[in-house]
Amino acid sequence: MNLTVNGITHGVDGRELATLLDVLREDIGVTGPKAGCHQGGCGACTVLVDGEPRRSCLLPAGYADGTEITTVEGLGTPEKLAPIQQAFVHHYAAQCGFCTSGMMLAAHAYIDRGGTDDHDAIQQALGGHVCRCTGYSKIIDAVAAAARGDSFDLTTTAVGKYTTMATGGGE
Amino acid sequence: MAAASVVTDAATEVLMPGSEDEAIAAFGDGAEVVVVGGGTIVLPDLTYRRRRARKALMLGGAGLAGIETQGSRVTIGTMTPVQELVDMPAPLGPCAANVADLEIRSQGTVGGNLCAREGYEAPRGDLQSAFLALGASARSAANGDVTEEPLEDFLPKRRERLLLGVSFDEPAAGAFAGLDRPHTHDYTALAVSGAKGTDGTLRLAATGTGSWGVRLPSAEAAAEDPVAAGEAALEDVSPHDDALASAWYRTKVLPVLVRRVLDELKESA
Amino acid sequence: MKVVGARIPRYDGVAHVTGRTTYVDDVSVPGTLWAKALRSPHHHAGITTLDTSKAEAMPGVRGVITWKDVPLLEYGHLSALGIPADEPLLAKDEVRYRGQPIALVAAESEELAAEAVDAIEVGFEERPALFDVREAFDSDAPKVHQWGNWYPHFEGEMDRRQIRKGDIERAFDEADTIVQGVYRPAAIEHAPIETQVCQVVPEANGRLTIYSCTQALYFSLGVVAAHLQVPLNRLKIVGGTTGGGFGGKVDTATETMACLLVLKANRPVKWRWTREEEFLCSSTRAPWHMELATAMTKDGWILGQKMLTLHDAGAYARFSPYGLTKHSFHHTGAYSIPNLHFDGYVVFTNRTPTTAMRGFGVTSVSFAVETHLSRVAKELGLDPIEIRMRNANRIGDTSPNGVAYTDPSTIDTLQAIADAIGHELPADYRTMTNEPRAGELLPEHLVAQVGSTEGH
Repeated sequence: MNLTVNGITHGVDGRELATLLDVLREDIGVTGPKAGCHQGGCGACTVLVDGEPRRSCLLPAGYADGTEITTVEGLGTPEKLAPIQQAFVHHYAAQCGFCTSGMMLAAHAYIDRGGTDDHDAIQQALGGHVCRCTGYSKIIDAVAAAARGDSFDLTTTAVGKYTTMATGGGE
Repeated sequence: MAAASVVTDAATEVLMPGSEDEAIAAFGDGAEVVVVGGGTIVLPDLTYRRRRARKALMLGGAGLAGIETQGSRVTIGTMTPVQELVDMPAPLGPCAANVADLEIRSQGTVGGNLCAREGYEAPRGDLQSAFLALGASARSAANGDVTEEPLEDFLPKRRERLLLGVSFDEPAAGAFAGLDRPHTHDYTALAVSGAKGTDGTLRLAATGTGSWGVRLPSAEAAAEDPVAAGEAALEDVSPHDDALASAWYRTKVLPVLVRRVLDELKESA
Repeated sequence: MKVVGARIPRYDGVAHVTGRTTYVDDVSVPGTLWAKALRSPHHHAGITTLDTSKAEAMPGVRGVITWKDVPLLEYGHLSALGIPADEPLLAKDEVRYRGQPIALVAAESEELAAEAVDAIEVGFEERPALFDVREAFDSDAPKVHQWGNWYPHFEGEMDRRQIRKGDIERAFDEADTIVQGVYRPAAIEHAPIETQVCQVVPEANGRLTIYSCTQALYFSLGVVAAHLQVPLNRLKIVGGTTGGGFGGKVDTATETMACLLVLKANRPVKWRWTREEEFLCSSTRAPWHMELATAMTKDGWILGQKMLTLHDAGAYARFSPYGLTKHSFHHTGAYSIPNLHFDGYVVFTNRTPTTAMRGFGVTSVSFAVETHLSRVAKELGLDPIEIRMRNANRIGDTSPNGVAYTDPSTIDTLQAIADAIGHELPADYRTMTNEPRAGELLPEHLVAQVGSTEGH
């Protein structure tokens, strides 16, 4: 089967029944998707399959044959962050970072299909994703900001005046 | 023509049929075949070694997905993602919307949900109550023989046959009431569906009171009085304890859900 | 000050959002074997037989370890402080909690390792098990630990952590009201999204490089070296980013056993727990049983407090004596109580051994004290915030272990809380400060409290 991951096509044989997560991590060496539970309960492994968010631990790799898969590595680079990545940095939405790639990919897909900054709708879209560090407020703030199309200043403001995250971090 | 076959490791033969006929042939008598619909239930079972697969039948390429309407008759292919039911009228739409989250609903299938074996700590098969209330029939195959029968008759043997699709007549009215799930990926601890046919037939069914969904005939008979019907429903089930809820809790809540469904049906009539 | 109060980006923020952060499970070393554990299916049982020969003979299996392979089988988490050890790295004659590791296999794949674990022959003789910390404290409870059912090695070989201060009997004699309560917070699983994981690599120079998700790098290094009986310079430990810990990755859960497998197989080994293992047998926050009795005056002064705490260590002591010690130091909460009688025990049960979680030992007592104080206020018909402010710690007041507070913030915090919830405070409470007690707020029973360091 052929899996196109972040634009690069990989031929993988004999792994049709394996989880897409294991194939991505172990066969292809793309480690952005995390193995948090291997049973669909945490959302850390979510990737985009032809643009749609899917739990890669629940998807048999054979079903992804011929698809375009996007992982966190394909969202943006440190030099050119995607808007959702900028929003997560700006709003301190990543603490330990283990849930972050799944959260951002689900959020990216939510915004892609026209999602707004409505907090209830964001909670619905991210409802299957578990974070144990930040307590979700910052994550929802980040997704809302990205959905609004806010622009983000990621430079150090060490002498800037204190601003709360709740206000979106603006000066 | 035989289904394409791939051996993933020494233990498992993977079958990937390209049509319904190939799927029926590959399933055979079903012995030692693990049927993979969307994978959302089977894959964790394989990962955690709760099930071993001698043969895995992956239905993704067999063309068994889709919803067709002919007159008032609706037919849903076994591989149709649960998400595609979400906007349908009650009880099916709200029942489907109550399954897991968007990502899992988009991957999990109608057939996989209806045919799931009982979970290891909780019953599965969230959609069973809705289809039972709709009086759905199930089209299935085993040993090359395709039959259609009421879903109630099919559910007890859902492990021995390959479900190909379900069909039902659009109801005149429908209602669904379920417990909120503590986490998106939990199964429904308890849910009740009700539907009134265009001929006036009322059906009520529950998920989460046993190994699979059941009709509630005593509650149907007492439906004129929703409170009495709720109590009567307890005669039709034998609730159990599991990780999601105790039998005591289910016994307390079932009458409430039955009453809500009947109230809603009355309002919509 | 350039940083305090300013908004600075996280140093690891960009790496996190681009998937560039390397967690232990992302470390990829060619030739790595997978480890799997044989775990106890019973809460308490004797081990009657243990035979790994069939597993060892399976194709793809490169090493199996049991207790016989551990140079120093028992080494406690507090052994470096001279406290005796009670827990074997791998179970020897008995298992005391469900999920306790008995043997480990290293094999060419995760699947092969799991199959080899199934091939290990082990026999058990089940024994009665204890799950409730209060029942374990009963004198006729079955014995589940070699030291008896509670920890006997506090300073001076005392079997409890004990605090006596002032004249408790007089406080209770003089009280207008005595309010009692029992508080029992349950165990909590930390549930980090990253399960326990480590990767150990044998280096050409004879060292073992340990990639670990531990929260306590150098502590783990010492524990591994002790069990292996090797000098620290044989080990190199690489920490980094932990995928959530919250205290649950303080215990040395995986590193030592993975090292032993590496020594056996001379190949790199990875051991990643499944989510089920994480829930089954990673350490949790302890369940507690706390009994409180408070001697009150009718106008809301706390004259004295008696407390009995039972801290559920689970099957082995690990850090629990330390947690209980912290608990005892904080057992008056944020309040100044002149007469104290505290007894705390670390009790053994057949639960998974418990450990730190976000305020080790202190969150439990805060829950008890604050819940209790609200009940006291209700009993006396007093305002719950005013009763707290009246008894709040002031500069110079002393903690249960005799430390004088230099900057307690209880009063400011309570004023801010009242503000935030729109709770109207009387004028003298609005202007109250942390300054040492005087006048009405220094009643006779508190005079000796100020600056006192005696009696602890």
